[in-house]
Amino acid sequence: MKRSIRIASVALAAGLVLSACASDEEATDAADPAAPEETVTVDPAQTEGGLLAAVQERGTLICGVSQGLPGFSIQGDDGTYTGFDVDYCRAVAAAVLGDADAVDFVELSASARFTALQAGEIDVLIRNTTWTATRDRNEGGSFAATTFYDGQGMMVDTDSGFDTIDDMANTTICVQAGTTTQLNLESQFAARGLPYTALTFEGNDQLQAAYFEGRCDGWTSDLSQLAAFRGTWPDEQGGAESVKILPDVISKEPLGPLTSDGDSEWFDVVQWVVFATFQAEEFGISSANVDSIVASTNPDEEPAIGRFLGLVDGFDPGLGLSPDWAVNVISQVGNYEEIFLRNVGPDTPLGLSRGVNSLWTDGGLLYAPPFR
Amino acid sequence: MSAPVTTGTGADTARPPQRRVDPARWVRDNLFPTPFNSVLTLVFAPLVVWATWRFARFLVVSARWEIVETNLTLYVVGGFPREQLWRLWLALTILAAVFGLLGGVVGVTAREAAVAAGRTTATTRWDRLARLGPPALLLLVLLGFSRTFTPLLLTGAVVAIGLSLSLVARRIPAALRRAVPLITVAGVVVSLYSISSFGGVPRDEWGGLLITMYYTIGALVVSYPVGILFALGRRSSLPMVRWVCGAYVEFFRGSPLITLLFTGWLVLPFFLPADFPTPTLVTRALIIFILFTSAYVAEIVRGGLQAVGRGQWEAAQALGLSPWKQTRLIVLPQALRAVIPGLVGQAISLFKDTTLVLIIGQQDLLAIAQNVTKQDEFLGQGYIIESLVFVGIVYWVASYWLSKESQRLEVRLGVGQR
Repeated sequence: MKRSIRIASVALAAGLVLSACASDEEATDAADPAAPEETVTVDPAQTEGGLLAAVQERGTLICGVSQGLPGFSIQGDDGTYTGFDVDYCRAVAAAVLGDADAVDFVELSASARFTALQAGEIDVLIRNTTWTATRDRNEGGSFAATTFYDGQGMMVDTDSGFDTIDDMANTTICVQAGTTTQLNLESQFAARGLPYTALTFEGNDQLQAAYFEGRCDGWTSDLSQLAAFRGTWPDEQGGAESVKILPDVISKEPLGPLTSDGDSEWFDVVQWVVFATFQAEEFGISSANVDSIVASTNPDEEPAIGRFLGLVDGFDPGLGLSPDWAVNVISQVGNYEEIFLRNVGPDTPLGLSRGVNSLWTDGGLLYAPPFR
Repeated sequence: MSAPVTTGTGADTARPPQRRVDPARWVRDNLFPTPFNSVLTLVFAPLVVWATWRFARFLVVSARWEIVETNLTLYVVGGFPREQLWRLWLALTILAAVFGLLGGVVGVTAREAAVAAGRTTATTRWDRLARLGPPALLLLVLLGFSRTFTPLLLTGAVVAIGLSLSLVARRIPAALRRAVPLITVAGVVVSLYSISSFGGVPRDEWGGLLITMYYTIGALVVSYPVGILFALGRRSSLPMVRWVCGAYVEFFRGSPLITLLFTGWLVLPFFLPADFPTPTLVTRALIIFILFTSAYVAEIVRGGLQAVGRGQWEAAQALGLSPWKQTRLIVLPQALRAVIPGLVGQAISLFKDTTLVLIIGQQDLLAIAQNVTKQDEFLGQGYIIESLVFVGIVYWVASYWLSKESQRLEVRLGVGQR
């Protein structure tokens, strides 16, 4: 019997190895016929716009998102993702594949995100990444557009007596480690000549716990995140009224999607998907009315809307997408207003108003080039 | 950890008379033997009681377990499509059946061997029941948070199938027992296929406890035999084999696991030829865990090999055994027996190291524990404590189970006694 146990354990090991390899390949083949193309993306020069074709052949979009960021990327209890960044992943999938659910989400840490994009592990990085000159040039990716204009702010106790950042000399400021937030804090306080102590934390959960313990005089982060935590401030800690966000905005944080350098076709696709969400709002087309607008639009009378919705024969911007790609984006995900309100708007924990994230026609910064 | 003291295994040695324990005397002897120890007791006893009380109070009274109840499925399987969950239950049923069968056959064979050798079987009914304690506790921790009865009923059915097959296995004629190990292997393969193939869920979509277990078990099963080979190779008389094995062990033991994972994730694809299919991320991570763990196992086993006296080799040679048989029959069994604590320690360490896949974008149990606090209804309420405590308990119970099983194995093999 000992012998048969030994044979069994060896055979079990061998079986597991074999099945691990074999079924893995099979699973890959079944779900992912273009698996070899994944490596092709490593060298974009070789592929000449291969990513669009690779994604279409694969049938799913691999989208890099953040590791749980309120309002931007959250995994629900049923395993599905929601959020502002997530919706833009879905919008790209809807445009490219016609199916907003054909997305594999990869949660990336701040330090791994650019390398993952360079290595071709993800097709597009939509991870509340701030557009800076250095990143655009040196990280191997290109920012396609700005989807959300954020800024860095400061949250303090309502009864702290601080009304602007200039009041905050000799204080302890809590900040998440390894982010541009920390660098902005340093340069702002140095520029204003305010001595301070920075207390850094790995994540917002730990930072908030320290804030509850009274270890922080101020909490600096992106305004959207401060709003999220203020909106859900626990009642036993005094509720949302016990903390306030100072009016100072100490940095510009334009957030947007990145694609890998050297694949301009794919870059254009992602960029125009973002523009389509702006343009849909400008035209007043939403997921609720897009079907009736498609049905009722006469391309000869409204050529701009007709071109946008792919109703004009012979008009093709050459993005390599089906003519009704914008219709898919709007009907399956929505226009910018819908995406904003659903994820970060007044009815969400973040409770943000549109502010500069309004259309240019409303005095905001969102502006789509013409679709023609 | 000391093995229980026994006076021998022969039938002629009588057990020592059971000493009656007088509670007052026990307290005096153990808690207040000297003034210094009395002070220590007075300082630490209240501390221990207070800490236990606070923790128990937290678990039972003040913890808000809604976050775990709401997200239980997420903790267990991550993003695994919910409409495909039946595949997991199917796989669990197959596994329970084949391992029930195997367990029953191994048990009955051991008992028959013991009877044939004139020994009484060492395990009592109580021993066997106690053995089920840790896994039952693990199931209790997981199922206790379920809001519906379905998982409880299904788990009950799976366990019942496993247990009844282990009873059936006792009646299998001896001639058919040889087939059982093969059936087990086939069952494991079929259950893995039934999850990921035939329209199933590729491993890249697994998450939570499921992916944690996949990495742990997959890496254990492969890396232990491989590690033993490397340990033998390092002691080989062929210089080339010795150097290669030595270089392998030193390289993987000298590199941080996190670096290796990053390499496997991001650097490896750059080196593979363009038309070479890149293995999926999960497979790459599994390979890294295997490479890393086998290096450690190799060193642990080498320690065991060195503990086997030269005389054992010489005695084996004197019996006329071939070098391979010397190793397999004489040296390796003694060497492995001596290093069980180290091997199990490495297994537990691997189990906890799998949390590092968090940094390569994988949703393992710990990653999910940190993510659920960002859901709208739990955001900013300090639920991270409940979430981490839950996951901590799951890790602890599973590690405790491994540790208990290894102690059982040590007792059975008589480690520390002979």
